[in-house]
Amino acid sequence: MAISAGIERRRGIAIRPILDRYYGLAVSTMSVLAFILLWEVAAGRGWINIRFTSQPSQVFWAAVAIFRSDNFLHHASVSLTEFGLGMALALLTAIPLGLVLGTSRRLRLFIEPPLMALYTAPRLVLLPILIVWLGIGMASKVAVVFLGAVFPIIINTIAGIRDADQRLIQAARAFGASQLDICVKVLVPGSLPAILLGIRLGIGRGLLSVIVGEMFVSEAGIGYQLMSYGQGMQIDKMLVYAFVVSIFGYALTVSVQLIESHVRSWRPNR
Amino acid sequence: MSQIEIRDVAIEYKKPKSDETFAAIQGITLSIEKSSFVTIVGSSGCGKSTLLLALAGLIPRARGSIRVDGREVIGPGPDRAMVFQDASLLPWRSVQGNVCFGLELQRWTRDDIRERAARFVRMVGLEGFSDYHPHQLSGGMRQRVNIARALAVDPDVLLMDEPFGALDAQTREVMGNELLRIWERDKKTAIFVTHAIDEAIFLGDRVVVMGRNPGHIRDVVEIDLPRPRTAAMLDSVRFVEYRRKLRDYIAADMQSLQMIKDVV
Repeated sequence: MAISAGIERRRGIAIRPILDRYYGLAVSTMSVLAFILLWEVAAGRGWINIRFTSQPSQVFWAAVAIFRSDNFLHHASVSLTEFGLGMALALLTAIPLGLVLGTSRRLRLFIEPPLMALYTAPRLVLLPILIVWLGIGMASKVAVVFLGAVFPIIINTIAGIRDADQRLIQAARAFGASQLDICVKVLVPGSLPAILLGIRLGIGRGLLSVIVGEMFVSEAGIGYQLMSYGQGMQIDKMLVYAFVVSIFGYALTVSVQLIESHVRSWRPNR
Repeated sequence: MSQIEIRDVAIEYKKPKSDETFAAIQGITLSIEKSSFVTIVGSSGCGKSTLLLALAGLIPRARGSIRVDGREVIGPGPDRAMVFQDASLLPWRSVQGNVCFGLELQRWTRDDIRERAARFVRMVGLEGFSDYHPHQLSGGMRQRVNIARALAVDPDVLLMDEPFGALDAQTREVMGNELLRIWERDKKTAIFVTHAIDEAIFLGDRVVVMGRNPGHIRDVVEIDLPRPRTAAMLDSVRFVEYRRKLRDYIAADMQSLQMIKDVV
């Protein structure tokens, strides 16, 4: 009796960590599967109107069709190029600008009011004028991605720099550090977590911008396809594109989060 | 002439939210011989850390001169290195990386940086921990890194601002012994600020006692104890006498503060 209880417990200990580790994943997966199943059954039984909601199996076959032809790669590459260029421009502008504004109080006082105004204003209201200026091609979308992503990166970079530990700066100065040394060896590495947070927020906003921009006026791209299938009531194909966007955005955000947590590892209590 | 000559130095700070200034220290005159170990004690607010920061060239003087090897101190320089209180290590760099920090800033060559960092990590007894990050180390280990970082740049003068202030009493004693062991090797001139009287006596050739309002030097006590210092000396008659004398000075200083409080 006592022996078997001991064995039971030992086995329990061995299995427990595995269960704990995959517990969250298992529950989440089950919730997604349950939802898909319910959707499939509800649409099949006519509980919901399939015309408006489509059906998982239909979406699946639509996906197969889209990935086989439909110029999927062309549309994806247009959107990806717009997004990539806009993000790259945003990074190249925002990080240096954030560094400068974070270190110079005078410049910050001068530039911060318009910056905050632009940050809080919905950038998509600028879309019509961007299209007037830059046309309906890729350039206007690059611009709107840039505008969406640039402000959270600037503002978080400034915050990171201003949060810098004064004791570290003093220690650097005691060893004869120049302003540039302090910037490169103390301020930038110290504010890397904040900069990455800004980039993560910027990715979300940039992705939204590119899709909405394409839906508004464009000749190609994922957003363009979303809009045209939506207008044509081809819900299954529209959903395929919606999923592509979600998965792309999710994957990108999670990867930045992984880098963030790696970078933050030297600050265990944050 | 002594290696360090401090002549009639005053340092003023701005009062918060006004243009007025107040003197943190005033009329400080002190000579420090090469290869001596000088400790500075005083109650908090007596300006002992201020004096050390001025020696490091990190804060400007209102009056007076500080010369190291005959050269006026106008800013930080490679002839002086500072050991700070806890939490001045770069948290994102490893032990090795932190010891490299000062060497990089003083533009040592890449080979020298690697070789010296490894050597000084070893010297403070952390050879097994060179890839650890500061948050993975105990307070005592972090201060070993801090000391290694300062010694690695090969300064003529080692300035230490309450380096063991955040440590528990036992670790503090161990670190004191360790510091002396390292110091005995090449006897760099050392200036060590502390508020712990025993630590000041145990480490120093001379103890500078500071008082406040404004910060000034009350006395300089020669410590006539043989080196190497041992734990047994802590209970010797002479040590107890020094302790009583210094404690009286600081008690008097605390009392004067109490009186000011009573009047106000």
